[in-house]
Amino acid sequence: MNPTLIGLELKRYCRDYVGLFFIAVLPAFMYVVFGAAQTFGKEEIGRGNVALYVMISMAVYGAVTATVSVGGSAAVERMQGWGRQLGLTPLRDGGYVATKAVLAVVIACIPIALIYVIGVASGAQGDLWVWFATAGITLFGASVFALYGLVFGLAFKSESAVGAASGSLVVFAFLGNIFIPLSGVMLTIAKFTPLYGIVSLARYPLTEGYSVDMQGNLSHEALWVPLVNVGVWTLILALLTVYLVRRGRDRQ
Amino acid sequence: MTTTSSPPTGTTTASPPPTTDGIHLEGVTKSFRSGGEMVHAVAGVDLSIAPGQVVAVLGPNGAGKTTTLDMVLGLTEPTTGRITSFGAAPRRAVHEGRVSAVLQTGGLLRDLTARETVRYIASTFPRHEPVEDVLQRAGLSDKAGRLVSKLSGGEQQRLRFALALLPDPDLLILDEPTAGMDVGARREFWRTMHEDATNGRTVLFATHYLEEADNFADRIIMMAGGRIVADGTTEQIRARARGRTVSADVRRGDVGAAVERLRGLTGIASVTTNGERVTAIGEDSDALARLLLLELGGTNLEVTTASLDAAFMAITGEAMDEDTDETEETR
Repeated sequence: MNPTLIGLELKRYCRDYVGLFFIAVLPAFMYVVFGAAQTFGKEEIGRGNVALYVMISMAVYGAVTATVSVGGSAAVERMQGWGRQLGLTPLRDGGYVATKAVLAVVIACIPIALIYVIGVASGAQGDLWVWFATAGITLFGASVFALYGLVFGLAFKSESAVGAASGSLVVFAFLGNIFIPLSGVMLTIAKFTPLYGIVSLARYPLTEGYSVDMQGNLSHEALWVPLVNVGVWTLILALLTVYLVRRGRDRQ
Repeated sequence: MTTTSSPPTGTTTASPPPTTDGIHLEGVTKSFRSGGEMVHAVAGVDLSIAPGQVVAVLGPNGAGKTTTLDMVLGLTEPTTGRITSFGAAPRRAVHEGRVSAVLQTGGLLRDLTARETVRYIASTFPRHEPVEDVLQRAGLSDKAGRLVSKLSGGEQQRLRFALALLPDPDLLILDEPTAGMDVGARREFWRTMHEDATNGRTVLFATHYLEEADNFADRIIMMAGGRIVADGTTEQIRARARGRTVSADVRRGDVGAAVERLRGLTGIASVTTNGERVTAIGEDSDALARLLLLELGGTNLEVTTASLDAAFMAITGEAMDEDTDETEETR
């Protein structure tokens, strides 16, 4: 691990004020509108209330957006030929991916911290350990999604790839049971989509696997379902990333 | 006419090759698929470069210069053949910091400053020259705090040069380092280069500009159509241009026969055609002119003194002609 690289990469990110605004402020705003400001926010669920449930969901969305945009920055770098420059250094593929992953985790802390602070101030309630556990799981799950952004960036090598990756997150957030509670066939489909596992795991300390759909029906899901979802998607993304980084070194 | 004309490389067959020093390419080819067609970017290159030489690779676009340099740098693998770089595989030599390069345009992060860029790359090497040192040697000390996006093209190229100096390499490769620069920036870049890099270091650079090759190289390698078409000292290359260029129009149907007759003359360096125009370079311009006017019915005769430019055109043009002939035959 190379602290100079990570420090300099962070510095680049802090120069991108617009990007930071969308990563942190937008999901925080969505939490306020869909969680804190709603009357059902005070209703109990598992070890806390619904406001906490919505807060975790939006933190997952924000953190994932952050990590995908880190992957997007890799896209632009590839386009500029920075990959060739790095190909002339002893930095290995693994080191490059690790640097970007650490960067993604650090950047992902920004929306999580902001949304959790707003949560404390706006009536989200739950056991203290649940706050920390959900934040930790969110961070871990989102770090996998640095790979998702990298894959888009490496495969398409253009600025529009960043837009495409972010755009697809909105779709996967709906499909992954993040923005609205799904039921029936939609919920079954959701279990195969990439964000479902992460958000279900992040909520687990709060809900213990129980969920309530729009009709008020209670259902329970075993822990292995989101675990397998996260495991399989991590493997797919990791293999794709290594393949694409190697391909990117060749000019042709 | 491959590696034989250069004295240091002529020894490779006579005595055991000095495999731990310099760069050696044996039968190297590179083909890749582009839009469903196989492109033979490098069609068989044998080359040895001894330590301390400053070597220019000259050739038109698509001659295979960049692909060859990329393979020497380990950025891409040869399709066939073998490359050893200081006794090791190319990537190994790069990782050890023995070989570094100034790449063609691109390859910098716009949102870092010049100094940060150097620190970034420096941090990947276990041992490197001091950051302020290389900035100073590249003439960037006063611009080091500026964002890359605010640097001029020439300054960005000097920054790439600073990056290449970091590992204190034995071999420095420059791929068209002055492409897109104006004359002043080009001169300035080479001045910086010359002060520092040629101090006992092996330098291999690709260029379009004959003037650069002439001014800075001990040895010139000319490439065309993925092959080496000439290899020698600048004097040897210039010697090929001794004599004069004679050109004339002949009747379209006679072009083939005229080329045949001209090639039969002694002291002929090259014969090229462009439509009805036949151009020959040779030592005896009078004999060429007489043949063209009296026997071949030539008109619009022109006789010029051959320059290094003409030698370049003759040598590379010839190779390109042969190449197009081949592809036409295979169709």
